[in-house]
Amino acid sequence: MVRCGEATPCRTLNRVIELKYLTKRYGATLAVDDLSFTVRPGRVTGFLGPNGAGKSTTMRLILGLAAPTSGEVLVNGRRYASFPRPMREVGALLDANAVHVGRSAYNHLLCLARTNGIGPRRVTAVLHHVGLSDVARKNVGGFSLGMKQRLGIAAALLGDPGVLIFDEPVNGLDPDGIRWIRDLMRSLAAQGRTILLSSHLMSEMALTADSIVMLGRGKLVAEATIEELTARYPSLEDAYLALTASSVQYGAGGPGR
Amino acid sequence: MTVLRSEWLKIHSVRSYRLAIAVAFGGILLGLGLAQMAAEMYESASPAQQARASLAELEEVVLMVPQLSLGILGVLVMTSEYTTGLIRTSLTVVPRRWPMLAGKAAVVGVIGLVTGPAVVFGTHVTCRWVIGDRFSGLYQTAFADKLPLLVALSLTVPAFALLGLGMGAILRSAAGAIALLVGLLYVIPMIVDKFPSPWSEWLGSVMFGALPRQISGDLTTPGVYGTSLPPPVAAGLLACYAVLPVLAGAWLLRRRDA
Ligand SMILES: Nc1ncnc2c1ncn2[C@@H]1O[C@H](COP(=O)(O)OP(=O)(O)OP(=O)(O)O)[C@@H](O)[C@H]1O
Ligand SMILES: [Mg+2]
Repeated sequence: MVRCGEATPCRTLNRVIELKYLTKRYGATLAVDDLSFTVRPGRVTGFLGPNGAGKSTTMRLILGLAAPTSGEVLVNGRRYASFPRPMREVGALLDANAVHVGRSAYNHLLCLARTNGIGPRRVTAVLHHVGLSDVARKNVGGFSLGMKQRLGIAAALLGDPGVLIFDEPVNGLDPDGIRWIRDLMRSLAAQGRTILLSSHLMSEMALTADSIVMLGRGKLVAEATIEELTARYPSLEDAYLALTASSVQYGAGGPGR
Repeated sequence: MTVLRSEWLKIHSVRSYRLAIAVAFGGILLGLGLAQMAAEMYESASPAQQARASLAELEEVVLMVPQLSLGILGVLVMTSEYTTGLIRTSLTVVPRRWPMLAGKAAVVGVIGLVTGPAVVFGTHVTCRWVIGDRFSGLYQTAFADKLPLLVALSLTVPAFALLGLGMGAILRSAAGAIALLVGLLYVIPMIVDKFPSPWSEWLGSVMFGALPRQISGDLTTPGVYGTSLPPPVAAGLLACYAVLPVLAGAWLLRRRDA
């Protein structure tokens, strides 16, 4: 695999996430049900589905945080846990609130960076990149949700990875922040990276994503480009509502609506 | 190595963790205060009372300060990963998982290994200076005679800190782990003491607090604890208290979903 400097994006040959018959069972619930799809480089892949559809669980399975009940998931052709320096391969933001309130933004990132042999210069650079330089030495306990989202994105970018996974990064952001994330996602994809991005904001996703993977009750409901979906439906939102209608679990009117 | 530096920064960069370490060192001040009180009481007593006056070894009394503060530090270093949700990030960047816990164990162990002797020997020197020849020369015995006990007392601090870390890794909840830790140190020995005869002696010997005196062979003031273990067995048991919960925690960490 090609290793390159921090300034230029890595040119790895196979920046893909491949899910093969992936299943995760929690007791009686099948959170992820026989799921197979591939996330490809050079574009933003939107990850959609109703509450409880299994998006976050799928992301945890990709990152080796949860063990699949059956099936497998490969990142760049390998199991995630087999990477000695995973931050250089994959960056992830799962939960922006998962920070220690008593630690500064700089130290939070340096704690993560050190595990993968990444130095303080890179920490300063990513803090600058996400616009947190001025508050780098402040405790993250005082950060707004938007600032924490930026910090989480900075953490994901630390290793300059070719594959990036974001779970609802625009949640709770102001219009400026939403715009910033959209531009960031598009530029990361334009650099040839593989981006998997979940969100419930359909109009925003229509502007950000190139292709869509849609889940319902853990199953794959649709895998298509934005153009394909908007050709068949008036909007991405209409496509989403029509395709997930039978699999909404926690909607108004109760199950089986 | 890189993980070790990360775990050191994780502890060093949070004020409440630094405070726990400072409190542990505060054990020396407690020793100074107790020694001064004892010396004053001794001075105000009659010569007859002075001849009969005895004093518990203050290093042993003071020891609970570094034990508890570093034991709780050990617990929190692991359980805060779960309460903050940081555990998922930590395991994403160290997917083999066990190096993270090993890093924490190394850092917590070294902090205990520095703090324990500092507090025990610091208190000992303070007592020699403040108590002088009072209390029938308790603090005038040759230093070499006291050394085994002081070393054994010191080593309980890193052991207890690691025990806390292991409990935190197994239980993942600070409340549960701290309750178990305090119960193990204070409550269970008192219950064991009430057991019928051979049992109370045998169980009293395997209690955590019974180990330093059995390791050193200095059994002058046995208290509620038993004294039936030979030194090497007691030393091995102390190591088990420190290591086995951490190993169990590492095994669970690798098996459980995060
Ligand atoms: N650790 C767990 N233990 C038990 N059940 C779980 C666990 N994690 C997720 N689930 C269940 O798995 C299903 C999928 O949850 P998941 O969080 O992946 O959905 P999601 O698509 O991310 O939803 P949302 O849009 O609300 O974030 C839900 O039914 C949830 O209750
Ligand atoms: Mg989710």
